[in-house]
Amino acid sequence: MSFTVDSKMIENVARITLTGALDSSTAPLLQEEVMKIIPQNPKELVMDVEHLDFMASAGLRIIIFAKQKLGTQAKLVLVKPQDQLIETLKMTGLIFSVVIVDKYPE
Amino acid sequence: MKKATESRNFIASLDSLEPMRDFVSQKGSEAGLNKKQIYGLCLAVDEISTNIILYGYQSSGITDGVISIKINFENDIFVVILEDKATPFNPLEARTPDENELGLPLEERKIGGLGIMMAKESVDEFRYEFKDGKNLNIFSVKALDN
Repeated sequence: MSFTVDSKMIENVARITLTGALDSSTAPLLQEEVMKIIPQNPKELVMDVEHLDFMASAGLRIIIFAKQKLGTQAKLVLVKPQDQLIETLKMTGLIFSVVIVDKYPE
Repeated sequence: MKKATESRNFIASLDSLEPMRDFVSQKGSEAGLNKKQIYGLCLAVDEISTNIILYGYQSSGITDGVISIKINFENDIFVVILEDKATPFNPLEARTPDENELGLPLEERKIGGLGIMMAKESVDEFRYEFKDGKNLNIFSVKALDN
């Protein structure tokens, strides 16, 4: 199960698609994309995670980092997280800081 | 599968995380654990192994470290033991975020201790022992009757 990350910027929305397993060995790839996105100051960061099968704390730390850099105004959207990822978001309290949707735009 | 004991050694490198999770998933599914239990064990193994690889072996100066995974399944209890020879470290004594911190907006959070907290929350029981010069991180879950 390999990890992939793709990103694009459309108007003020940054969109990142993740697949596979996000752990400490693959997290630097996401970090790199996030570093490219931050200077463009998106007002929303949308992450497509439907096919993301695993996420360790290394991935959560990047999400927290991105939110800290983008500021309170920026909205963080997760599209179709799997059940186990939702569990992780609940246990870490991150669930309160993200918007979860079934598709984007709704 | 009613009773089983298995073990496998992995090089203490981040590239081993995925094969480690695959090993635990495969054995967990043979034992009849459900998806949530298997995922929880994988998360615990991943988080604690990451600490051992990035901090434990690095601080001990050992460059060719090994992490062994031992699996015991008996009386419906599925146990995963992570064994390493890095610097002694008890993750259960490490500081993890408390309720108040977990309720903070992301902008105000300090980033730390999350992985160990997730490992604890993801299994039924998490124990630590230091024995014969080895760190033993022991995770167990109870197989359900379904």
